[in-house]
Amino acid sequence: MLLPISRALVVIQLLLLPSVLCGLPLEDEIDYDRSIRPILADRCYPCHGPDAGARKAKLRLDRREIAIAERSDGAPIVPGDPSSSLMIERLTAIDAEDRMPPPESNRQVSDQEIELLRRWIEQGARFDRHWAFKAPRSPELPAVLDLQWSRQPIDRFILARLERAGLAPAVDANRAILARRASFILTGLAPDLEELDRFLADESSDAWHKWVDSLLASPTFGEQMATHWLDIARYADSYGYQSDVHRQMWQWRDWVIDAFNSNLSHDQFITWQVAGDMLEDATPRQKLATAFQRLHRQTNEGGSVEEEYRIEYVVDRTQTFSTAFLGLTFECARCHDHKFDPLKQREFYALSAFFSNIDESGLYSHFTSAVPTPALTLFDQTATDRIAELSTQVNSAEQHLHEVEESRRDAFDLWQRQQEGSYPAAIFTDVAGHFSFDEIIDAKSINNIDPEHPAKVPASLTLSEGVSGKSIRLTGDDALVFDGLGAYSRNDPFSISLWIRPEHHMERAVILHRSRAWTDAGSQGYQLLIEDGHLSAALIHFWPGDAIAVSTTDRIKPGQWTHVVFSYDGSSRASGIQLWIDGDKADVEIVRDHLRSPITGGGPYFAIGERFRDNGFKNGQVDEMYILNRSISALEVRKLFHDVADAGTELAVNDEGLYRWWLLAIDEECRSARFELTTTRKALAAFTDSKPRIMVMKEMATRRATHLLQRGRYDAAGETVEPAVPGILPPMPDGASRDRLGLARWLVSPEHPLTARVAVNRLWQIAFGQGIVPTSEDFGTQGVRPSHPQLLDHLALDFIDSGWDVKRMLRRILTSHTWMQSSGCSHSLLEQDPENRLLARGPSVRMSAEMVRDHALQASGLLVGKIGGPSVLPYQPPGLWQEKSGRTYTASKGEGLYRRSLYTFWKRTSPPPTMMIFDASKRDVCVTRRHRTSTPMQSLVLMNDPQFVEAARMLARRVMTSTEDDPAAAISNAFRLLLGRTIENAELETLLTLRDQLQQQFAGDPDAAGHWLSVGDSPIDETLDAIEWAAMTAVCSTLFNHDETTRLR
Amino acid sequence: MTCPIHHPDESNRRQFLAQVAGVAIGSTMWGWMPTPGQAVEHLRPHFQPRARRMIWLFQSGGPSQIDLFDPKPLLNQRHGEELPASIRMGQRLTAMSGNQSSLPLVGSPFQFATHGESGAQISELLPHTAAIADKLCIVRSLHTRAINHDPAITFVQTGSEIAGRPSIGAWLSYGLGAGNPDLPASIAMVSQNKSGQPLYARLWGAGFLPSEHQGIQFRPGKNPVLYLSDPDGLSRDMRRQMLDALLDLHRFQDQGEDPDILAANTRNELAWRMQTSIPEVADLSDEPEEIFELYGKDSRTPGTYANNCILARRLAERGVRFTQLFHQGWDQHGNLPGALRTQCLETDQASAALVVDLERRGLLDDTLVIWGGEFGRTSYCQGKLTPQGFGRDHHPRCFTIWMAGGGVKDGLTYGSTDDLGYNITANPMDVHDLQATILHILGIDHEQLTYKFQGRRYRLTDVHGKVIEALLA
Repeated sequence: MLLPISRALVVIQLLLLPSVLCGLPLEDEIDYDRSIRPILADRCYPCHGPDAGARKAKLRLDRREIAIAERSDGAPIVPGDPSSSLMIERLTAIDAEDRMPPPESNRQVSDQEIELLRRWIEQGARFDRHWAFKAPRSPELPAVLDLQWSRQPIDRFILARLERAGLAPAVDANRAILARRASFILTGLAPDLEELDRFLADESSDAWHKWVDSLLASPTFGEQMATHWLDIARYADSYGYQSDVHRQMWQWRDWVIDAFNSNLSHDQFITWQVAGDMLEDATPRQKLATAFQRLHRQTNEGGSVEEEYRIEYVVDRTQTFSTAFLGLTFECARCHDHKFDPLKQREFYALSAFFSNIDESGLYSHFTSAVPTPALTLFDQTATDRIAELSTQVNSAEQHLHEVEESRRDAFDLWQRQQEGSYPAAIFTDVAGHFSFDEIIDAKSINNIDPEHPAKVPASLTLSEGVSGKSIRLTGDDALVFDGLGAYSRNDPFSISLWIRPEHHMERAVILHRSRAWTDAGSQGYQLLIEDGHLSAALIHFWPGDAIAVSTTDRIKPGQWTHVVFSYDGSSRASGIQLWIDGDKADVEIVRDHLRSPITGGGPYFAIGERFRDNGFKNGQVDEMYILNRSISALEVRKLFHDVADAGTELAVNDEGLYRWWLLAIDEECRSARFELTTTRKALAAFTDSKPRIMVMKEMATRRATHLLQRGRYDAAGETVEPAVPGILPPMPDGASRDRLGLARWLVSPEHPLTARVAVNRLWQIAFGQGIVPTSEDFGTQGVRPSHPQLLDHLALDFIDSGWDVKRMLRRILTSHTWMQSSGCSHSLLEQDPENRLLARGPSVRMSAEMVRDHALQASGLLVGKIGGPSVLPYQPPGLWQEKSGRTYTASKGEGLYRRSLYTFWKRTSPPPTMMIFDASKRDVCVTRRHRTSTPMQSLVLMNDPQFVEAARMLARRVMTSTEDDPAAAISNAFRLLLGRTIENAELETLLTLRDQLQQQFAGDPDAAGHWLSVGDSPIDETLDAIEWAAMTAVCSTLFNHDETTRLR
Repeated sequence: MTCPIHHPDESNRRQFLAQVAGVAIGSTMWGWMPTPGQAVEHLRPHFQPRARRMIWLFQSGGPSQIDLFDPKPLLNQRHGEELPASIRMGQRLTAMSGNQSSLPLVGSPFQFATHGESGAQISELLPHTAAIADKLCIVRSLHTRAINHDPAITFVQTGSEIAGRPSIGAWLSYGLGAGNPDLPASIAMVSQNKSGQPLYARLWGAGFLPSEHQGIQFRPGKNPVLYLSDPDGLSRDMRRQMLDALLDLHRFQDQGEDPDILAANTRNELAWRMQTSIPEVADLSDEPEEIFELYGKDSRTPGTYANNCILARRLAERGVRFTQLFHQGWDQHGNLPGALRTQCLETDQASAALVVDLERRGLLDDTLVIWGGEFGRTSYCQGKLTPQGFGRDHHPRCFTIWMAGGGVKDGLTYGSTDDLGYNITANPMDVHDLQATILHILGIDHEQLTYKFQGRRYRLTDVHGKVIEALLA
């Protein structure tokens, strides 16, 4: 589209605004931000910049008032007078002692740079803010000389710059080449040849727009866009670190694909991922989006300090947030004030406070497959309906039990009369075990109820004086083990009563548990501990986020015997845990109240006094233990205490106490109602437990304190910091919540200087292979400045105005005349603008790792176009996993071999080798752009990777089958499928000759042909002549290494 | 220009050179080798190197210095006593032994003797190493920050505990280029069929350096390098015909101007040459009998540590800059006496043989050899101390490595630890110091080998490290 600017108007502008056209400001004014700050930042800030810790001579050159202030020996900068400025004096000092920067610093300032500084001081030494921290301003469209070329504003900005540089745009690219380029960039795949032909035949004026629109509408668009986002999100299918266990996060990857396909506005795309869980009435999909922040690596290495790694995760989330959305690199500020950008260490931790407030552990579970918390269970609609149904049944059963409990007084009276008012002797029912711990015979201590299941006593444990008879004295390193007892699920009520005697105050001691380990198993199971003297009890799926736990307000007294009872009602609620001390119900504080998943599967047995890599009950004693397969009544607790503490006296019993006991122990109607409740709970649990879970964000109700960490070390906590955004950026509005949701809203507010610029720059990078700011991860002072700052602002504001419409922005870019230029390039232009920053030609880039493989699969007809689902395991040379971690790689069968590469299983410690060879990012940390190298390893992959050898064979079959005994047609066909253009005669002759030669040789050695055709799982087509097929396969394989096959031109 | 390493925008500059100059002159496309167009300052050592290449015999898991190189008679005397608080000084332990109710000291069951003129003290488990004692520079005072394997091995390999930075081999590739145009600059080999602490591809990876600098793993069998050999049925002659056709096709498109097509031709042709040069170096059939005898009986079996040691020597002969062997299994939390003996049997003879072999060929003078792991082991027992056996936990406060050849002082034992083998008492050397010293030996100033990434100039040694001059010959 031509803009309605008349030639006359341009002439006027030419006269009035020469500076715009020649590109140089009036009187050669030095632009501080463009020319001066980079020198100062790079060479001077390390010692005279924002980092207070590294600052020398109390001088900072990032602040004008300090830089021009008079010092004992003069002022570093005297505006207007370079010769009096100490800075110039020191920069040009001949004596190494005086010279700045110090010669040994590896930072020198060139003569040209000194000249620039001199002129800048001469002009007044004006300081200005770094461009990226100022809000974008809507620029005027620049004037251009060539009024015909521009089709839309993008072109005007590009052309104006080219004209300033004395360059002219390139010719339009060949339409077939262009269609192929657009297809790969938007969908990651080559165009379908029939559709391509229709496009080439379409002479209508909007043919190109229709072509681009059809690509944007293809579901493969979402897949292609996702490949970029997976790098930024450091997506992987394993935890990374050490043993690198596999994990399921692919449901988030599928959400990304869908978000791009449904053109979710980019501000929402960001908001959901940063704070989807905190949106009002957040949907499961909005919560799922926050998995973005849990994609960092995690460890389970034995012996690791939990807090050390939790801090790493928070830091990773903070850095990923900064790089992905702000285009700023905060890594330096973790340990000290940033040396180049005005970011303080304190600000880094203040930003990190937004990301630390989730109930997570620094270690994932080695012994169980629990998904680290916070986690979201993924239900489809059918499952949601079924859960509602099952929950209703649980609620009814609860209600029914409650009614029964209140309606049985008459029956109780009757029963009581039948007892003739006497106190029942056997008050305990449902007892699974009773241990007096009075003797040890054959390393066993007897279970009075069930002699088949005694306690196993290690030799190191001894008998000592007990509260009643003898007791067992513990070492802390050896467990009393109870096989066949205590295997309770979270739906089973149970009670455990015992006497304990700690020798001294205990910071942490495991009294009893059924679990495999502490952090090594996420504590899965149930446990009774002493923590800082308090008694605490918990049922845990994964500590801390999926658990119920209570802790007594009083402390257990050391040096004396205490009777404790841990009772649980099967409700999965913290209120369902009761602790009793010396016969009375203890006051407790609820520590956690969120149990949603199984507690079984961790521990093999019930044990007392010791747990793997935990603090045992060292020098503690235990005596008189009862285990009941139900909740316990107050009466029973009092009796258990009384029988030992006040043996010989009579226990006072009141009717209400007896009634409550009777309901639990005797009354069949109530017991049956209780059993029914347990049954419905188990049905609900069985259903939800079968559903997949995924790590997400979930804000904790009480904010976790965040500290500045000295030198970034987890164990060097400094001052407490509150959540806040860095001071160089606009503040959060008054009243905004200081949490992730407030942060997300701040991020996508239209005034934000970075978010939209960073986003459109990446879209530009996708289209051109390089951003307007080439350092797409760093818009700070150390990043490369935009080649077209006004264009960047124009696009950013347009993006916001459009409602952050990604497809619209890509359509604008791909329909620009700029983008549609031919990528062909003269040697002189190559020398003048080797990186093509001015865009006097179209983009020419090597395909991404994903494109290279998907293209071969697509051309061969092997590609399976299914979208989403679990990651797959295509061919991989044997032994790669084995030799690193002892795990066997078993390739998929069938379609898993031929899915698009974004579905290839990403194991962080042994990533897919072909992808790495073609410069895929490693998925360790957030990466916004990839290297593009050219190495012989790439040639070897295309020559010999079974995936490509098989693809060549199947491509050969495809073209031979469709052309029937016409090798020239078959070759031409294969050529077009791979290179996207029609073959030239000379090319055809070369390939025909190659085919004929190889065919002769294979004819002389048919076995060789057989071997060559047997690579890969695809079957041999017996209808084809093996010799011809082998030769044609070699032709196709040869073409894989043709530069044009893997390049977008 | 007085800073020979740094360039303001290194990646862009290199990209440009790769696109234009390097290829146009028709050099190879090993990104890691100094193509003529890249004959620039940063591929030149900063000063006269003492060694031109190095071989790192990495013992993964943390070998016990107390049982191998750093004998402690007092520890043996006080066997079974509790670790004194005055020695531990509140230092952190791993969460594996940190909650033990008791930390009993455990002496070494192995005999030590002094060896050679230097009188180095070496355990009976390492008789072959002991025999070359006078060629070794033993450092007993290395220490690290990390207490778990992943951060510790990552620290040794990259100078940072957190993954993401380039490995030392990648830094050397970047700083010095390849020594042989047909072979990678950095090569990694992992002993096969070992178990133990996992290894990760990033340990020899390029981090944020361009991926051309990543270490290439050599593996036993038909494909020493992934995808190297042609599929069955395709002869070398056929492959040549295919590549010739490709040269023709590219020529039709371009007469020698287009850098991308030149790049494609060069990488294809180098791949062709590698298909010969790599099998040639990996094929030990031309090694005489006496060599296998020197390296021990395992050395005939591809994939063993001993076999990899021979391969390392062959790579050194051909100028490969950096070769690193990884041998897992040194992580003796339990059953140390038995397991440690096995580890030593697998590695002792071949490690010593490599030094001897290099020396015989006149290569030891300019090849640096290093033996060592990621940390040491505790002088207290992990788990229960029983007459049958014991284990030692991770110990970052001190551990031992040895160096040989390439300008290091031989016959030296450097640094010392306290009588219970817990803390360093003299000449501490941290991991960054080791890295700085290695780079120095190879002619590089560790403060000047930098790469700018995400707005910051990174170095192997972060902002730390000093060259330990006392180790230099």
